[in-house]
Amino acid sequence: MMAADLSPLVLLGGGPDGWGPALLAAAMLTLAVAAAAMAIGTVLGAALTAALMSRRRWLARAAATYGLILRGVPELLVVLLLYFGAPGLLASLAALMGSPAPGSPPAFLTGCLAIGLVSAAYQAEVFRGGLLAVPPGQIEAAIAAGMGPFTRLRRIIAPQVLHRVLPPLGNIWQFNLKDSALVSITGLAELMRVSLVAAGSTRRPFLFFAAAMVLYLVLTSASSALFRLVETRGQRWAGGR
Amino acid sequence: MNEEIAFLTVTALAIVRALPVTVVLALTSALGASAVAVALVAAQATRVGRPLAQVWIFVFRGTPLLLQLFMVYYGLAAVGPIRHGLLWPLFRDPLFCAFAAMTCCCSAYIAEVLRAAWQAIPPGQVEAAQACGMSRWTRVRRVIAPQMLRLALPAYGNELVMLIKSTSLASTITVLDVTGVAQTLIAHSYRTLEVFCLAAAVYLGLTAGLTALLRRIERNLERGTGR
Amino acid sequence: MIRAGVLALALLAGACHGAARSGDDLVIGTEGAYPPWNFTRADGTLAGFEPDYLRDLCARLHRPCRMVAMDWDGMIGALQTGKIDLIADAVQITPERAAVLAFGRPYAMTTGVIATLRGSALSRLADTGATLDVDRPGSLREGITDRLRKALAGKVVGVELSGAFDAFLTQTIGPGVTVRYYRTMGERDLDLLNGRIDATLEDESYIRPLLATRDGTALVMVGPRLVGGSLGRGEALAFRKGDTALRADFDRAIGASRADGTVHRLYLQWFRMDASPQ
Repeated sequence: MMAADLSPLVLLGGGPDGWGPALLAAAMLTLAVAAAAMAIGTVLGAALTAALMSRRRWLARAAATYGLILRGVPELLVVLLLYFGAPGLLASLAALMGSPAPGSPPAFLTGCLAIGLVSAAYQAEVFRGGLLAVPPGQIEAAIAAGMGPFTRLRRIIAPQVLHRVLPPLGNIWQFNLKDSALVSITGLAELMRVSLVAAGSTRRPFLFFAAAMVLYLVLTSASSALFRLVETRGQRWAGGR
Repeated sequence: MNEEIAFLTVTALAIVRALPVTVVLALTSALGASAVAVALVAAQATRVGRPLAQVWIFVFRGTPLLLQLFMVYYGLAAVGPIRHGLLWPLFRDPLFCAFAAMTCCCSAYIAEVLRAAWQAIPPGQVEAAQACGMSRWTRVRRVIAPQMLRLALPAYGNELVMLIKSTSLASTITVLDVTGVAQTLIAHSYRTLEVFCLAAAVYLGLTAGLTALLRRIERNLERGTGR
Repeated sequence: MIRAGVLALALLAGACHGAARSGDDLVIGTEGAYPPWNFTRADGTLAGFEPDYLRDLCARLHRPCRMVAMDWDGMIGALQTGKIDLIADAVQITPERAAVLAFGRPYAMTTGVIATLRGSALSRLADTGATLDVDRPGSLREGITDRLRKALAGKVVGVELSGAFDAFLTQTIGPGVTVRYYRTMGERDLDLLNGRIDATLEDESYIRPLLATRDGTALVMVGPRLVGGSLGRGEALAFRKGDTALRADFDRAIGASRADGTVHRLYLQWFRMDASPQ
């Protein structure tokens, strides 16, 4: 436990006292949480957009309420609520249906579900904005030209929506990446958590939090570079707008 | 049933008692972040300040606020000049550390909002002002600043809403704000759902209230432009 | 299309993580942040008295076991809902906990102590060397409690959230002291060392090794030893209330480990003292 005497290189390195590999593995887990949350957010967000723009008022209102609540409540509370509250909720639901308690879901699942639920609320708004930007005249013309719904989607709607939607989605991805740090509260060994455990047990908080900051900067800047690349490619596909 | 109502009442009271902490943190951080953001935007117009401001924005937008909080609270306290310096009475206080971290973090986001608004000002107006012979300061006061504020308002409002939600992270560095009190209540009573829902309702009230206020201000500003 | 695939993979990964819980293997919950009972090494593995001891007990039971780390304030919930099968985290036997958990027989007994920075306001706390037994009423207990309450009035004491000392402060010392709650021991230690909190209440088995570290030489143990009440009498494994068979199995294994001296060897190795329960 004489970590106070060890040099930063040793503590961050790969040896027996080195937290390097643990931090890198934790960074990978951070990416996994963010990716899973993004996926959940996209699928649910698309469904929410469909509901928001549906002609059934109850559906539109329900989706709007979902958005208001999930965008108005701190993400930390959603993470904590799902982690601490979901096991009990699942147990009560199972009891209602007469089946045995399913055992609570792993921290990874509740964590990315929590971030995903919030992400869906923001992604729904982004998709809605993207869809509204497609001139309705084009859709009418496509229908008149005899295009089926899938062809319409592929040829007219998707290119324009994707092009519009990609920058804000890139933003949402960055938020997912940073919000994944909140899942550390549940004990999941992602980057924030591992740096905290290392900082506490070696009593060198400045070193490990600085290392974690560097790793997060790598993740976020690599992500923005990647999105910029996809955006320029997408611009060409959408007709160079 | 009575016991449930009694518990909810006690919980609600405890949470409401913690509300001033949340509000004070949000207000001071909003003011601090806005001030720093203006400085950052101004710095980007200078040759020396530009790279510094860009590094600041890069770091504080590229890392999670939670990590920044831990860095300010635990990380800086382990550094000699802070721990044994004149500023220790400030950094000793968890609420100050939360304020400091949130100011730095939100200033980066607000600076980007202001910069985008600045770049959205029709260049013709600025040129016309120059042609009229307005000094730099008058240009800023009469043409740039008012337009910038109007253009920035929606996005700035969004950042303020995010700021209010972010105050809940202060609970992770021992601040007893609404979320902090909620967590101690849950730890001592094991009743997760009720307590968190009450806490969530409080934040919802704050953010919904702010959103309504911002919409009203936006409408007033629109009226002013004769649109 | 790609997104749906990513989603499916993520859900599968999550489900597999959960499905790795086949019927036979026991999942043991611990913190991994409470040396020398349990702590996390740099490479991520768990080490300490409890990982070693539980490995021995499970071997005696011929059951495969797996230890997972989590924060204390989620552990009881995880036990109740089946995420873990038992808790091995230096859990002290207290009446409040006995209401929701089923304790096995105690496998160790250590007392609580008060730690503070050398030279701080509390470093000259009275009754150093005495024992405050909350369960034994009398003038001795009243005297010590009274002096402790006066000394802690207006001070800031940091404890682990929902730990035994958290309850002790509320019940025995009362509202005069400002309590700061920490999610992990490490965070509390950092604030103790940088002086943000005036003192902490913690188990002797944690404080002694901490005092032996280079940072820890700045700390000193003061005041009475604490035992009884919410601090419990001895540490034991915690099970779900219905799990009588599992509890009985582990009780037998603990008895065997005492009989052949295994547990005493581990006491000396990790605590450098005999932590046998009375």
